[in-house]
Amino acid sequence: MITLTDLVFKWQKQQSNPTLAIAALEIAKGEHVFLHGPSGCGKSTLLSLLAGINRPTSGCLSIFGCELSKLSNSKRDAFRADHIGYIFQNFNLLPYLSPIENVTLGCQFSKQRQKKALVNSMTLNQEAARLLNALGLSEQFHLQNVANLSIGQQQRVAAARAFIGSPELIIADEPTSALDTGNRQAFIKLLFEQAQAANSTLIFVSHDESLQPLFNRNIDLIALQEQLS
Amino acid sequence: MILIKLAISSLYNRRASALLTLFTIAISVMLLLSIERVRVDAKSSFSNTISGTDLIVGARTGDIQLLLSSVFRIGHANNGVSWQSYQYIKQQRGVKWTIPLSLGDSHKGQAVLGTSDDYFTHYQYAKKQSLSFSQGQPFRHLNEVVLGTQVAENLGYSLGDSIVISHGMGNTSFHHHDDNPFTVVGILNATGTPVDKTLHIPLAAIEQIHATNHTEHEHEHEHEHEHEHEQPIDLIGEPKQITAFLIGFDSPLYTLQIRRNINQFKDEALLAIMPGVTLRELWEMLTIVEKILLMFSMVVVLVSLLGMLTTLLASLNQRRRELAILRSVGAKPWHLFALISIESLLTTFLGCLAGCGLFYLLMSLAAGYLQSHAGITITIAMLSGYELMLIGAIMAAGFIVGLIPATRAYFYSLSDGMSIKI
Repeated sequence: MITLTDLVFKWQKQQSNPTLAIAALEIAKGEHVFLHGPSGCGKSTLLSLLAGINRPTSGCLSIFGCELSKLSNSKRDAFRADHIGYIFQNFNLLPYLSPIENVTLGCQFSKQRQKKALVNSMTLNQEAARLLNALGLSEQFHLQNVANLSIGQQQRVAAARAFIGSPELIIADEPTSALDTGNRQAFIKLLFEQAQAANSTLIFVSHDESLQPLFNRNIDLIALQEQLS
Repeated sequence: MILIKLAISSLYNRRASALLTLFTIAISVMLLLSIERVRVDAKSSFSNTISGTDLIVGARTGDIQLLLSSVFRIGHANNGVSWQSYQYIKQQRGVKWTIPLSLGDSHKGQAVLGTSDDYFTHYQYAKKQSLSFSQGQPFRHLNEVVLGTQVAENLGYSLGDSIVISHGMGNTSFHHHDDNPFTVVGILNATGTPVDKTLHIPLAAIEQIHATNHTEHEHEHEHEHEHEHEQPIDLIGEPKQITAFLIGFDSPLYTLQIRRNINQFKDEALLAIMPGVTLRELWEMLTIVEKILLMFSMVVVLVSLLGMLTTLLASLNQRRRELAILRSVGAKPWHLFALISIESLLTTFLGCLAGCGLFYLLMSLAAGYLQSHAGITITIAMLSGYELMLIGAIMAAGFIVGLIPATRAYFYSLSDGMSIKI
């Protein structure tokens, strides 16, 4: 469960208007949330807070019972490595690693993720292959040069990297903006399947409101912030 | 560790620019090591030229000029030492041996040295090594010659060959062609000193060459001597003067006193030098060249490291997304700092390794040339402590230079977080 209470974030302390201000937000475990809002409304800022990159200026942010706002920088980095899978907009693979290596990268900085990944398979590579297959990337692509994959295939690899080791929270930051409509829906369905299988909470960020009906909950960030004022 | 693996894969991915960087570092390392090795070996070859000799005595000139003319066969000694003075000094108390040297003649551009039999027993080079024969023996007759190894090699002479030695430097005179054929009776082993480039003939033969112009019959007279084996042949003769002579004492304690006596010699203006001291003085004069060379190679190293800095910084901006991805999977800022540092360290390390390889290649290719043309004996041995220290310094410098992009990566990862979208 994710709880935000009286959360305020300012880039500088002297800043008069907060970049982000949320009175209250609760997301239950296993929920698939669609978070939307126009550019510049604070989506990226909220994600950076949830991912533990930045610390709230004031207020409380707790994820699965952990007071993220009170942790030190390096503890938040460790928390992210252990509990959060992150999918970027596009081109988010390391070009010098194979798809399999890109996926296992998700476990390299966390012992916990590694342990959880090995529950399903004998080795990390096998688990990576299993996830890639589940996300619809067949074996023949697993060891190919990442640059030879299509955008859709790359995005599947990125998703597998986020899902490996079953993190409790998956944050997807506009992951479908580079895909066409058909691919977009298929990709989101695959995301849902995996999130359900791993019992992960999914926060999906996009400004494309046409995707909204696919989710069981949606949050308008503008509306959410207005509650405060 | 994962960071090392990432660094290697990342470098491999950018192998074209990484290889160029590596190559420039390798070349600079090669240059630095080569200059250093040649410098050290030149110095040791240089100071190895003569040893075991306590004093060199010649006509009064500069210390260095006397050393150059008597030992290195560079330049001319305008004056000589009169035979009487030589005989007088030779008989001083404490004098163990003397070697008279008479220079000024040449054979096909190689120096001809008139000397006595003592040369082969008392002359020493390097660490008190005496001359040794690879073939043959010392001269026993007036018309015999002992060759330095390079004279034999370069001019293609072997034992038993007849050669003509002319009066003066360089030009061959037909006049002497039939008069003074010398027979090669010995070839010395390589010494890495000017001895290798010298033809040694009996001191008396020098007089003979100079005299034949006027007294043809004297030669015939000497020729007759050859057949009288029971009678010892005077190989020294009584020349009017010699160029210089070397002295060895029973004890080095005599050196300073006799040197003073010679320098204050009433009958003739003479100069006695201690070869070790003068060699050092001469080398001091050359240190400026040595320092400039070293400085140049340092600059080359610096430029190559700056090249690495440029490539790293240029690539860093393109790699911000890569850094953000690593952050997203849980890498801490110091992980990224370490990643870039490892990359620069790896590049420098491989550059140094390749540089050492190139250095050995160059040295083994150049050793022969340096030996024959500069008289420098290159030792192709393991890297010395000093050379390892130089490499260590380059690695350290590479690491320090790498800290600049690493620090930038550290702060990029803090300010960008994971929001960088390219």
